[in-house]
Amino acid sequence: MSAPNCLRGLVRPSATIPISAPRSAAPRAAPIGLARPAPFSTTALNARRQDPNQQGGGGKGHVRQGKKLKLGKFKKTAVESKGKPPLPGERRAYRKRITLSNDNAIPVPWLKDIGADGLANAQNIARVLALPEEVQDQLRASEAFKPTQCWGMFRKPSLLVRKESVDLMNRIQTSVDNKQTLRLVVTGDKVTGKSMMLLQAQAHAFLNNWIVIHVPEGQELTTACTEYAPIPNTDPVQYMQPVYILKLLQSIKRANEKILAKTYTMTGHPELPQNITPNTPLLALCNAAKEPDSAWPVFQALWNELTAHGTAANRPPILLSLDGLAHVMRVSDYRSPAFERIHSHDLALVRLFTDTLGGAVQFPAGGAVLAATSRNNAPRSPSMELSLAQREAEQAKREEVPQKDPFFRGYDDRVEAVLRSVQVIRLGGVSKLEARALMEYWAASGMLRATVDEKAVTEKWTLAGSGVLGEMERAALLTMRI
Amino acid sequence: MPPRLNIWSAYRALSVRTRAFAQATQPGPAAQTRGLADNTTSRFPPSASGALPPSMLPESEPLAYTSKENEAALNQLRMIEYGLSPLDPSVEGHKYGLPELPLPSQKHAKHRYDAVITQVTKLLMRDGKLAKAQRDMAMILNYLRTSPPPKLDPAKPLLPGAPPAHHLPLDPVLYLGLAIDSVAPLIRMRGFKGLAGGGKSLEVPMPLRARQRRRTAFQWILDVVNKRKSKGSGRNMFPHRVAEEIVAVVEGRSTVWDKRLQVHKAGTSNRANLTHSGIKGMI
Repeated sequence: MSAPNCLRGLVRPSATIPISAPRSAAPRAAPIGLARPAPFSTTALNARRQDPNQQGGGGKGHVRQGKKLKLGKFKKTAVESKGKPPLPGERRAYRKRITLSNDNAIPVPWLKDIGADGLANAQNIARVLALPEEVQDQLRASEAFKPTQCWGMFRKPSLLVRKESVDLMNRIQTSVDNKQTLRLVVTGDKVTGKSMMLLQAQAHAFLNNWIVIHVPEGQELTTACTEYAPIPNTDPVQYMQPVYILKLLQSIKRANEKILAKTYTMTGHPELPQNITPNTPLLALCNAAKEPDSAWPVFQALWNELTAHGTAANRPPILLSLDGLAHVMRVSDYRSPAFERIHSHDLALVRLFTDTLGGAVQFPAGGAVLAATSRNNAPRSPSMELSLAQREAEQAKREEVPQKDPFFRGYDDRVEAVLRSVQVIRLGGVSKLEARALMEYWAASGMLRATVDEKAVTEKWTLAGSGVLGEMERAALLTMRI
Repeated sequence: MPPRLNIWSAYRALSVRTRAFAQATQPGPAAQTRGLADNTTSRFPPSASGALPPSMLPESEPLAYTSKENEAALNQLRMIEYGLSPLDPSVEGHKYGLPELPLPSQKHAKHRYDAVITQVTKLLMRDGKLAKAQRDMAMILNYLRTSPPPKLDPAKPLLPGAPPAHHLPLDPVLYLGLAIDSVAPLIRMRGFKGLAGGGKSLEVPMPLRARQRRRTAFQWILDVVNKRKSKGSGRNMFPHRVAEEIVAVVEGRSTVWDKRLQVHKAGTSNRANLTHSGIKGMI
């Protein structure tokens, strides 16, 4: 035996040690002891895991233990977050929270609270008025404030009384005086104050002790984000949304506590979980809904009581309002058991609203049904757009009323039936006088650091596309140039 | 070859005439009567001399045309006669007058924001989205306006001459600028390679300009912000984190103050290196 072969006998047998066999022997099969079975694995990852010594490939069989010097760039492993993750809904609540006061802002000395007819009085046009404390709480309970509005910048939440708001309040007041129901849609371009108009109407209603039922987002009803269930014994089948209705009942209760305590039931409601006898306060009726299961019957009972005609001496006027009309004027995202999409008007709460908007329900003591369109978050609803344009043209007594496109199939007859006879108010920019009143209020609060003169007002008014209120806020308040 | 630009080349175009120009013949009156093809009423032009016999000329002068504007114009003419300027350019013909000159820097499109705000906004920018950075900055300023006045820490003094804490929220631009300028380092350490012996670099403190100081300070703030956890969700997340850190800086709670102290200490301990022979003439 030659010397190199002897020495090799002392080496530990290993798979990867090259064998210095003579070249002639190379094509032959490897010795049995050194042969390795073919790796059996399903994936490349497992194949690699089977023989960790194979990594270096070729002749390097040895793997250094301990710390390795890493050359080149390596992907960092994701850092595990410390601390507990936020609870479900916590981040949304932080995003959606509403601040109504800023202690840094300077209190405005000449600011007065709105009186009972403050919003219907033409003398208050182009004046800024503050909301009384009590009404603030009521509006907060009915979710009239929105997080995108600039409430958190001023000492007290205040409103600019516009020409259109006085017009709207007068229309509502007239219909209440005549015990009729006003049916009206507020529409207009982006950030022109449509939701704010609904808020003003609600403030007017609260100040006059009416009952307010407000659906803050039509979207929440139809985008399939809340539970739904078919209502038994309905044909065609209608669907209730128990969780949402329970929430709505609670907000109605909180917002209208005083007036509901003074209004009494006319008939008994033995079908409810809590037996309601005649002459029970409606507040007690609202309290009967403790769980989502009983929410819809209770809501229906409350609605029947509020709209009961007959000895209607002590029924208060009602304001029913909804923001984001386009969402309830389309086919919803809910599915029927046959997996067909449910029309929004087959959802019971939406149907209740649309029936009232269409004129099928009359409030005993009068009132108003208001709806506002939205421009930022709205699905296309061709029928609604067409109907509103038609109503607008008819009210302005224009000669050309827009007609249906005969080659388009996307129209919805149910929507058109609802909007056949509503009134329409279109909002645009404010006048320069109103803009000036608003800017003076901003400056007096210390939020606008500029002299408010005709030049400044004209500048902001023009920048804001002829006085679009949201754009004026962007140009003067929410800017880098403060 | 380009033409030469000198005075001699201009002379080539010069020519001298020894005789006067030939007078062009005046067109006859008939030629002047040519009118438009559809104007059938063209007649001889009215000439001042002898178009009408003197007997037919009116005796008296025609009445001067009088109106308000005419009066004003006449007044202006009289003022010119007296050597006065009749037009006040800041009043006449302008609805809102003329702008005062020199124009204030805010009127210039590129300098419309405060200098610190402009710089910091561009540091906030990611992926070249300036409009988003500007919206974020607006939200930061808004947060500063609505947060309660900061409680100052006497151990971490702000710049001398800073207004009292309760003034700050009403002037958020000042608030932000004050926070950044107060934690901004005065110096940075510059390493000269191999001068300290043994291959080590020689650390020499160098002064920073105001813009550089602000940049360093805000980068430190952003480093801290990126490690913070955000509370809410949506587009307010990042700006609110930045604004919280700004408030923390003013209240003396931020770790950015430690970074500043560290740099300043290193500068003090290495200031002897300023006189090192190896860097003579390099600074």
